[in-house]
Amino acid sequence: MLRASPGGERDHPHFTCRAPPRQRGACLAALRLCEQRVDQLLQHTLNALILGGTYALLGIGLTLIFGIMRVVNFTHGELYAFGAYMMYLWVMLAGMNFYLAMVLAVALGVLLGGAIELVLLRRLKGADIDTTMLVMIGAWIALQNLEQWTWSGVAKSITAPFPATPLVLGPISVSWNRLFVFVVASVLILATHALINHSKLGKAMRATFQDRETAALMGIAIDRIHTATFALGSGLAAAAGALLGPVFVAYPSMGDLASLKAFAIVILGGLGSIPGATAGGFILAFIEELGAGYISSGFRDGMGFLLIIVILIVKPTGLFARRERIG
Amino acid sequence: MKRAATIVLLAALISLPLWISSLYVLHILIMTGIFIIAAMSLNLLLGFTGQLSLGHVAFFGIGAYTSSLMSLGFEVHLLPSWQVGLEAKPVWLAMLTGVLLAGMCGWVIGRLSFKVRGAYFVIVTVSFAEVVRLVALNWVELTQGPMALNNIPVLRLGIPGFFEFAFLRKPANYYLVLAVGALAYLMIRRLVHSRAGRAMIALRENEALAASVGIDVTRYLVLATFLSAGIAGAAGALYAHYVRIVDPEIFSFIYTVTMVIMVITGGKGTLAGPLVGGLMFGLLPEVLRAFSIPPEIQWVIYGALMILIVYFLPEGIVPALSRFWRGRRQQDDAAALALKTEPSP
Amino acid sequence: MTSRTLKLMLMGLALAFAAGGAAAQDTIKIGVTQPLTGAFAASGNYVAQGAKIAEEEINKAGGVLGKKLQLIIEDNKSNPTEAVATAEKLINSDKVPVLMGAWSSTLTLAVMPKLEEYKVPMLVETSSSGKITTSGNPYVFRISPTSEMEAKAFAPLFKTMGIKKADFLATNNDFGLGASKEFSAAARQNGVEVGVMETMDPKATDFSAQLAKIKASGADTLFVTTAVEQITLILKQAKDQQLPQKIITTGGSNSPDQLIAQAGEAANGSYHLVFFTPWFPEAVKNPEIAKTFVTLWNEKKHNVGGLTEGFRGWDGLNVIAEAIKAAGKAEPEAISKALWDVKVKGINGDISFIKQGPAGKESAQNVPSVYLVKIEGGKVTRQ
Repeated sequence: MLRASPGGERDHPHFTCRAPPRQRGACLAALRLCEQRVDQLLQHTLNALILGGTYALLGIGLTLIFGIMRVVNFTHGELYAFGAYMMYLWVMLAGMNFYLAMVLAVALGVLLGGAIELVLLRRLKGADIDTTMLVMIGAWIALQNLEQWTWSGVAKSITAPFPATPLVLGPISVSWNRLFVFVVASVLILATHALINHSKLGKAMRATFQDRETAALMGIAIDRIHTATFALGSGLAAAAGALLGPVFVAYPSMGDLASLKAFAIVILGGLGSIPGATAGGFILAFIEELGAGYISSGFRDGMGFLLIIVILIVKPTGLFARRERIG
Repeated sequence: MKRAATIVLLAALISLPLWISSLYVLHILIMTGIFIIAAMSLNLLLGFTGQLSLGHVAFFGIGAYTSSLMSLGFEVHLLPSWQVGLEAKPVWLAMLTGVLLAGMCGWVIGRLSFKVRGAYFVIVTVSFAEVVRLVALNWVELTQGPMALNNIPVLRLGIPGFFEFAFLRKPANYYLVLAVGALAYLMIRRLVHSRAGRAMIALRENEALAASVGIDVTRYLVLATFLSAGIAGAAGALYAHYVRIVDPEIFSFIYTVTMVIMVITGGKGTLAGPLVGGLMFGLLPEVLRAFSIPPEIQWVIYGALMILIVYFLPEGIVPALSRFWRGRRQQDDAAALALKTEPSP
Repeated sequence: MTSRTLKLMLMGLALAFAAGGAAAQDTIKIGVTQPLTGAFAASGNYVAQGAKIAEEEINKAGGVLGKKLQLIIEDNKSNPTEAVATAEKLINSDKVPVLMGAWSSTLTLAVMPKLEEYKVPMLVETSSSGKITTSGNPYVFRISPTSEMEAKAFAPLFKTMGIKKADFLATNNDFGLGASKEFSAAARQNGVEVGVMETMDPKATDFSAQLAKIKASGADTLFVTTAVEQITLILKQAKDQQLPQKIITTGGSNSPDQLIAQAGEAANGSYHLVFFTPWFPEAVKNPEIAKTFVTLWNEKKHNVGGLTEGFRGWDGLNVIAEAIKAAGKAEPEAISKALWDVKVKGINGDISFIKQGPAGKESAQNVPSVYLVKIEGGKVTRQ
């Protein structure tokens, strides 16, 4: 009854409807509906792809910290918020160039991460995981409320130097801002992968992840590796925040959801696995987008949590963990 | 000495409404009491078995919502054609159901989560609390979602036909909270000093060793979670029938954090720890409010306190004070001994 | 438990005992509970600022019954438990004879049992849930409109704006859900087809999923009810997805000035239902009062975007002041009685109360004016 028609009949630009005249109306209506549905699906897919990139950044940052240092890093989300607020500070209040501000925001994120590790975590060398967790929670509360006190609870907008009219590709459209986010996120993911797998520092990090004692015996300065890991992971979180801040808004509790989603991604992808975290980021974005689009929009942010619970019950080591390996 | 102090304290607590007339202060004490009960329940899990559960507020909320829904009555459509409803039940029954349901949820979480330990357990518990919050928020037909359940009835006890006492006024609620709190405290104390309790402590100290000696790790952990969740549910039910409005915000992570701070600061693994911690952090917001300190700064102080306590007083205030006091006493005893043995001038 | 610990606890109790304040006698205290921190902080602060401006003006003109008004503003932290705590403190500790608050419907509903318990009236200045005035609480006096009233006021515009099919996007709380319900009912009553009804978490920032659904619905109009931050994002994302629908925001927490500032081009072409039009004060019933308020607000350098919410604090306080004057004494019982008969020229319009709710235990409700404005070329225009 239906056939693709490049020439385009009168009734519908893309398809020919060969139904008998009485059923023509219903046939065309079904076609239109089908096309609408496909368009909607395409739009959802595009949205998910773009969001997935930033989720992957968050996940990679946390999987490194969690994997190498075995620290449940509750401040990860705060670094995300920090990145966004730095963009607000430098772009909106100091009038700096947008791209320059982004570089600065990430750099400051790296520094803050390193500082947190040096000040708070060094002292707890060898302490059990609960203790470090409690310190991280304390730091998280203090950081978030400092942020709220400094910037107030009102959400802050950051203007981006992209045209307001989106790029239209047929039935779907995407804003230039989001396209930029996707490109930068992809670059950062590849850069991190290269760093971990092809640099000396990366090698040291992988060694520490595999076997801390042996790595120490081999002469690796574990303390410095820890600081570097925390700084790198925090820098990635800040990058994600700096990228998404201008797309959405910056507000003090934006880090909470980011933290929890990052945990979901880490668990999904397997501890310490960068490809796992990357894939996990995209998978979570897809589940969220399609779930919100087709099941329940209210539950969008809950998808991450459900995912965590299901995965931990079914396959606690995650989808991609190839047993104690990073890279 | 210790006996006397306990009696004085008990007398003070019981007679409190007689010499504190400010309804506002009573209100603060009641809310603090409810939080202390919740903190005690968390202490059972965190302090005695060593499992850091960060989803504890879920049990508190489940207790609150269950009790409220049962006492208000509800009607939901599980399927478009299948309607399920419950008529309003007396509050005491609703509260007990709340406690039981919370306990059962704790049992389920216990069974599921103890397959995963450490950091993963923490994440599961946090996720569980968030999922429960989202369910409460989105299942509007049942829970009214963000519109909140209001006009929750107060507890009424009595013999039908003879008399009925409604827990409407503050002093009555104060005694109710005090009674439940005392009950919870005694239950926990009994458990800790029993065989099960000693097994739990062995677990906390060295799980592998305990297992190798033949202690059934999972069984005791699950028992602890059941009780812990049940007591938290009781606190939730008390809250629901005192404040008389519950909304999904009671599942906020911030309440879990408050409970954790109370337990850690007071002294995890001690019986008095949550009491001291609860009192401190229950009263602190009101004291800060009196000095017009913005709530953000209050939370910054909380966060900083947590870090400082973990560094300098990792066992909490109560054990530190115990040691201090014991140290003093030993010095006194030594001094007394020295005096006795000195040759008289 | 050591005796040292016991002594510590006794000290703690003593501290609790020592709390509580003394009262000054020569001012009339009015309790205000607003969300100054938390999710609704922006709006709560605007209302408090508006009330403070009114307090100053009233005191400059000689006060009430020869005494100065003193606002005691407590922060309910956007949280129902805290709202109850603030009510307890204001009523029992500060002994205020009347309250104003608590901003959001959930917060107000939480406080309402306390009003009945202590028999103290409260002026509700923002909440929109119908439940507030239909719960049989005679101590509630509301000047803000319910979503039902807002929808009824909008009803004739369905035809004039040529709306054939409408979608609804609302924040997932009493405010948003109530508005969607009322507006969709009004739409149906006026022969308009109802398309999709979507919701979002009040803290969500990504609406791409909901908007993608709405884009495919075939409707010509989208009604949005939420706070201004989310509206900003919705406008931007709707433009990203090239949504064909025209957008109408409802609820009064939509601050068009802030939308222009933050959404930029994306705000052009959108309509907004507001309860005060500071850009053209001549449009309201009592323009001189409106102009005075705008001037005073700008003098204090408050955020211009807050005018559309700050006026509620002004109107609320003025109503309370009038009632106290009419009552002749600053006591809860007398003030309650006097509030029923009060007639005040407010910024929104003329304020007076009608009965609403179950017979014998009615609450008081004002019937306020509603205005429609459009954002065009970066400016707010009259409709």
